[in-house]
Amino acid sequence: MAAPLVLVVLVAVTVRAVLYRSSLAAFISERVEVASPLNAWKRVVEGLALLDLGVSPYSGAVFHETPLIIYLFHFLIEYAELVFMITDVLTAVALYLAIQDFNKVVFKKQKLLIELDKYAPDVAELIRTPMEMHYIPLKVALFYLLNPYTVMSCVAKSTCAINNTVIAFFILATMKGSAFLSAVFLALATYQSLYPLTLFAPALLYLLQRQFIPIKLKSKSFWLYTMQYAALYLCSLVVIICLSFFLLNSWDFIPSVYGFILSVPDLTPNIGLFWYFFAEMFEHFSLFFVCVFQINVFFYTIPLAIKLKEHPVFFMFVQIAIISIFKSYPTVGDIALYMAFLPVWNHLYRFLRNIFILSCVLIVCSFLFPVLWHLWIYAGSANSNFYYAITLTFNIGQILLISDYFYAFLRREYYLTHGLHLTRQDGTEAMLVLK
Amino acid sequence: MAAVAPAGSWARVATALLVGCCGAALASGVQDQAEQFFKSGHTNNWAVLVCTSRFWFNYRHVANTLSVYRSVKRLGIPDSHIVLMLADDMACNPRNPKPATVFSHKNMELNVYGDDVEVDYRSYEVTVENFLRVLTGRIPPSTPRSKRLLSDDRSNILIYMTGHGGNGFLKFQDSEEITNVELADAFEQMWQKRRYNELLFIIDTCQGASMYERFYSPNIMALASSQVGEDSLSHQPDLGIGVHLMDRYTFYVLEFLEEIHPASQTNMNDLFQVCPKSLCVSTPGHRTDLFQRDPQNVLITDFFGSVRKVEITTETISLKSDLAGFESKLPKDELATEPLKYAEQLPVAQIIHQKPKQKDWHPPGGFILGLWALIIMVFFKTYGIKHMKHVF
Repeated sequence: MAAPLVLVVLVAVTVRAVLYRSSLAAFISERVEVASPLNAWKRVVEGLALLDLGVSPYSGAVFHETPLIIYLFHFLIEYAELVFMITDVLTAVALYLAIQDFNKVVFKKQKLLIELDKYAPDVAELIRTPMEMHYIPLKVALFYLLNPYTVMSCVAKSTCAINNTVIAFFILATMKGSAFLSAVFLALATYQSLYPLTLFAPALLYLLQRQFIPIKLKSKSFWLYTMQYAALYLCSLVVIICLSFFLLNSWDFIPSVYGFILSVPDLTPNIGLFWYFFAEMFEHFSLFFVCVFQINVFFYTIPLAIKLKEHPVFFMFVQIAIISIFKSYPTVGDIALYMAFLPVWNHLYRFLRNIFILSCVLIVCSFLFPVLWHLWIYAGSANSNFYYAITLTFNIGQILLISDYFYAFLRREYYLTHGLHLTRQDGTEAMLVLK
Repeated sequence: MAAVAPAGSWARVATALLVGCCGAALASGVQDQAEQFFKSGHTNNWAVLVCTSRFWFNYRHVANTLSVYRSVKRLGIPDSHIVLMLADDMACNPRNPKPATVFSHKNMELNVYGDDVEVDYRSYEVTVENFLRVLTGRIPPSTPRSKRLLSDDRSNILIYMTGHGGNGFLKFQDSEEITNVELADAFEQMWQKRRYNELLFIIDTCQGASMYERFYSPNIMALASSQVGEDSLSHQPDLGIGVHLMDRYTFYVLEFLEEIHPASQTNMNDLFQVCPKSLCVSTPGHRTDLFQRDPQNVLITDFFGSVRKVEITTETISLKSDLAGFESKLPKDELATEPLKYAEQLPVAQIIHQKPKQKDWHPPGGFILGLWALIIMVFFKTYGIKHMKHVF
């Protein structure tokens, strides 16, 4: 499988290199859908220039990256394009290896459940075979590298790519079962953009499953492992934050990075839901609504953990999707990460109900974003409502996509245990609904 | 006869001595007075009197300003040297039961409006912008002379402001404010443009001392009616007119000024004592650290009056028509300067071939050490110590 992967990587690198040299690069880096105040490249350059002038880069609300990014780019700023291409390749390779491992786990579990006779007799067509699963890792790498969203994000040199790499390494470490590395990478991801905190739950569930520790609230080994993992995670986070203090000898980065993410002061339009609301809100209520919106991101973790405790990787996929929809400054780079997982759930295709319309919605909205931006900002014949309408539609499309996959996944699990032909008590065909 | 003559001559000597002593004393007195003349250094006086509040119930602020106007005019400053800014018209206000009058004492004892009031900025023209423009001289060319502060570097200026204020600001017209920082900067602009010799700033508002806290230009003396955190209170209402007529501080200042005449030698220390806390309820404050002369030596009439200093000389000076003698007195240039070519004055070559600036910031050593130590620890924890043999 190495050769096709290398081929895909080469094609992806070529596409990016060609785009870097074309005039589109400048146009793409300016797009608000690709570069947000948190991860725009020109802000990184600005911050480093301020540092060269002897001023703290966090003075003034320009630079919102973490000190480790400062350290990384201080030495690599001339090779920025190469760095971003390498990060994309690393993400794709990490996802490839992770999904390879995951497939093995899935297959093993399936075999176990078949032998234990947990499946209903007529679900033969739902059982997955190694043949069909063979190309899934390659497809995942392909989906990530050649996704137009990823390509645009890379050409714009948005540091979202670095965040994606860290999350991909975190997923790889979790799949391999190393709690220590997983905690370290999760701490790095949380340190960079607060929201991966919610990925703690699926990672914990997966590691518990791997160690064959049952998830019961009374079980001592459960709590022991949880405490160990949580301690590893928190200690690494504390160590990284303290280390960042020593870069500039100040705690300035905490309000500039985390305060900025949580309090959303910059209302530049993006593909998220925050900007329009807070642009039109009275000062009096903004604190309340900021809290509500931020809680919305973290809120789905526990119900999903309860429902999906047997399927932590699907949980991770849904969680990443929720983060990239509801985070305060989303960009298309965040979307590209969860879309890379879609080939893993290929087998759910027959249960997806709205996939056609949703993919149309997503594609059309992606094309309409620049059109309505032009109408609003340059032509002046539209206003922010038009752009926000497209933002809303796009986010609704994403949410419906995720809930569709969620429904399809649960439906398949139900069919596996209860048989494909469900009948009601009076003999007619029954329909499963998500309540 | 010889005995009488010496007595007579003694008497003559004694008289001569006495006369001499008196003459010397008189001469020194005259000398003192003459010195006194030249102690202040100003040749003309200006006054800028500002009332910043409108509406009938702020009658007392207009009365404050008009009473200072009256004193200042009485002591000799002409209308051409007074810029009077009143934000509202009380004398002709429809609610005034005694039109064309503004009283400062109850029972209508003293009408400070008089017959010859000249208001330069009236009603809505009293804004922060106009006030600052008057002070700094940045006035559009179409402004009439009566609205300009045409002071020079030998002018002593009295600035009196009254109205509603707070900690660090003074409210104009109920819609805008001037801050103490702006005022201090305006005075600094006046200093740099040499628009005053010495400046006396009096303010009668609540928390007035905050307005002079920020002054930093030399030769400013400031008085305020109350300290920060205190309110300035009004004096007495007149039941016939229905409003308070004056503020306490300005009331007592007016009584003090009524006793000053153009030749009086009263100095600033007496003005500082006007209105103690028992009478004023608030604590008046003053600031003299920026002022170069001792307040003991500063006459009230240096600011409130227009005491012209006239020096009479009896010697004659003849003005020659030829000025040939002057040119030889011009100092010769010591350094032999070569005329620079234009191109040599601008180091273009240095600018074009400037090397790119070296990066000055480097991450601290401790950080790099800590980071790489952590990375190495993670690496070895994951892969085990046995991989160390690959390193060595």
